[in-house]
Amino acid sequence: MLLQLKNIRKRFGGVTALRDANLEVAAGEVHLLMGENGAGKSTLMKIVSGMLAPDSGELVWQGRSVHFRNPAEAASHGIAMVHQESLLAPHLTVAENIFLGREPRRAFGLIHRGQMLERAARIIEEHRFPLEAGWRVDKLSPAGKQMVEICRAIQQGSSLLIFDEPTSSLSSAETEEVFRIVRALRARNMGVIYITHRLEELRSIGDRVTVLRDGETVHSGALRAISADQLIRHMVGREVSTIYTRPALPPGEELLGVQNVTRAPVLHDITFSLRAGEIVGMAGLIGAGRTELCRALFGVDAIDRGSIHCAGQVLRVRSPRDAVRAGIALIPEDRQRAGLAAGLPVGHNLTMPALAAVSRFGFLNRAAESRAARDLTARFRIRAESAAQLAGRLSGGNQQKVVIAKWLLARSRVFLFDEPTRGIDVAAKLEVFQVMDELARRGAAVLMVSSEMAELLQVADRILVMRQGRISGELPGRTTAEAILRYAAFQSSAAAAGDQAG
Amino acid sequence: MIQRLLPFFTLIALFIILSIASPNFLTATNLSSVVRQTAVINIMALGMTVVIIAGGIDLSVGSILALAGLLGAMTMEHNGIAMGLIAGLIIGGACGMANGLMTTGLRINPFIVTLGTMGIYRGLALIISKGLPVHEIPPSFSYLGEGTLLGVPFVLWILLLCAATVHVILEHTRLGRYAFSIGSNPEAAFYAGVPVRFHTTAVYTLAGLLTGLAGMIEASRLMTGQPTSGQGYELTAIAAVVIGGGSLRGGEGSVLGTLVGAFIMGLLANGSDLLGTNPYWQQVIIGAVIILAVAFDEMRKRRS
Repeated sequence: MLLQLKNIRKRFGGVTALRDANLEVAAGEVHLLMGENGAGKSTLMKIVSGMLAPDSGELVWQGRSVHFRNPAEAASHGIAMVHQESLLAPHLTVAENIFLGREPRRAFGLIHRGQMLERAARIIEEHRFPLEAGWRVDKLSPAGKQMVEICRAIQQGSSLLIFDEPTSSLSSAETEEVFRIVRALRARNMGVIYITHRLEELRSIGDRVTVLRDGETVHSGALRAISADQLIRHMVGREVSTIYTRPALPPGEELLGVQNVTRAPVLHDITFSLRAGEIVGMAGLIGAGRTELCRALFGVDAIDRGSIHCAGQVLRVRSPRDAVRAGIALIPEDRQRAGLAAGLPVGHNLTMPALAAVSRFGFLNRAAESRAARDLTARFRIRAESAAQLAGRLSGGNQQKVVIAKWLLARSRVFLFDEPTRGIDVAAKLEVFQVMDELARRGAAVLMVSSEMAELLQVADRILVMRQGRISGELPGRTTAEAILRYAAFQSSAAAAGDQAG
Repeated sequence: MIQRLLPFFTLIALFIILSIASPNFLTATNLSSVVRQTAVINIMALGMTVVIIAGGIDLSVGSILALAGLLGAMTMEHNGIAMGLIAGLIIGGACGMANGLMTTGLRINPFIVTLGTMGIYRGLALIISKGLPVHEIPPSFSYLGEGTLLGVPFVLWILLLCAATVHVILEHTRLGRYAFSIGSNPEAAFYAGVPVRFHTTAVYTLAGLLTGLAGMIEASRLMTGQPTSGQGYELTAIAAVVIGGGSLRGGEGSVLGTLVGAFIMGLLANGSDLLGTNPYWQQVIIGAVIILAVAFDEMRKRRS
């Protein structure tokens, strides 16, 4: 065996990322690593590549137990990772990136540029990469950048290469090219660990598969011996927790109509509507275009085609300001970056979108503002010392509540929640669900984007599924994770038609 | 809290030390001259405070001061003091607005925009005046910079009025609140529907307007319109804001802090003069104070 991981455990604070992860990779095989978002795949690969140390468990590399203290140590043992988000120096050339930190030297420590170019060209030619040694990396496509990372790994003499969702941002032609190279590496007796969500591409590339669920290895075996249905069952597990259930409301008037909204290349012909009192789930894999859809509806990104309307009236949403005026609220995926002014008091954050409501002729009515802030803090049970406490000092769950609560003053009626439960604990999650339910009960329409299928099944009245920039299916709220995953991951939606009834 | 007041205590300590060390310090003449000397920087620094709170920077204020003072003085020659004052303010405001429009419209870092306009405004002042100062100013104009009202320098009243206005803007208007929001997290402000471009432009315009006023005071004190005046003032103004607790990362700063910062530097300069310190050392001392003030402030923030 090239690599063996035995009973790996890893906790981050109170969250257990890996509880009992096991993985065996042989030389000359492509080993698929699968699991839902948050199953622990990335954490496990960070441990293998030396970016994280496990709390317990054993890492056996070529028969010897090892501990990597940093990525450089893992690299010196022959383990390399091709990252989803390229980790290259964009302003340097392909050759310079391949040899970064290990440049061939001449006398006086000068870089031997000629030799570097020549050796880079040799690697590129040998593997028939569609690259030139002298090209600048920032001019390359995502696929090209991955190839540079692969060249780097080959130059380092790596014997294990880890691909983290390499094809999530590639076209089908580029995907084929990556597959060809992966097969070539396998033929040279390298081991390959390949993380993917795309069920349809498995068969053309993998030899064996390991499935992680909630930080545990639940299946490992030959890919030939397992069906797609079985794989999905392993990934999702049977038990879908029922901590939260929500009685559906009779939906009211349409609050937001979206018609043929297109923004090439991320969104194509998106059509759906949201009605008062509804919580609509939005499922899909990472990169399916869900965040891009929220950004387009909120006026952050312009749309090429299509229309957004509200109660029969067409909305021109060209900036978040227009969206806010039209009663649309966005609770962004990255709260810290786009939702919260961490250095300002909680109260100032709460009134930011609706300052006009507490001011006259440009002058703030500070008394009215504090009243509004106090009212919102109480209603959302935001645990802050006072409205004057800096927002950055609150816990993650309370920050989340600030980001939601601020829209109440703005009288928003359409709420776009982008991954609202990411990074918050279970108790705070339940409170966020209750807030969404309360919003719906007060006549708002809620769109909830989430990668946590169990949550969508608990909260949503119906579930839209996105896949590669399109809405690939619509399911009732009481559907199954398997059904969602089919629409999210499979090319043809016909295969899942039977699930719509159940 | 005690550490937040550190600049304030430093100012008081400096005041007490100088009162003891020099018999000439605590005299009406000397204190008046400190006020007159620091008023120009102080008023510029008030505008800079708002710009820095909004996450920006304005390197061109020294040049705006010269251009506004020059054109104000030239207007005064033929159209009287009132028109001259108005012209100076309008020129200042227009220069600031141009900075704001370029920053938001071309989406260029304000450091670069104002580095460019620092040269442009200064060059325009030199071109218009052919490099020569304007002297034909009505004599009564000197009251603005050198006059006395109710026993204190007239500029002190102007300074207090400006400080109160900027304080009200920062703490009690939407413009001020948006300045804090934009400076603290421009993306969050944009996502909250804050008209970021409009208010950023407004902030630079306000800074230009105050600098225009400072330019007229400078012209009044010198009784000339000098195309070369105000060189390096931008850095002194930035230093005042920073000593007073403003953060170049945006979202932090206050009027009181800036006033304290400007007066600390004013007293250091005045004290060095009175005590006969080598003027070359003055620069070293003031430089060290800037670094120490910010170092203490960063330490305070990290600890809490």
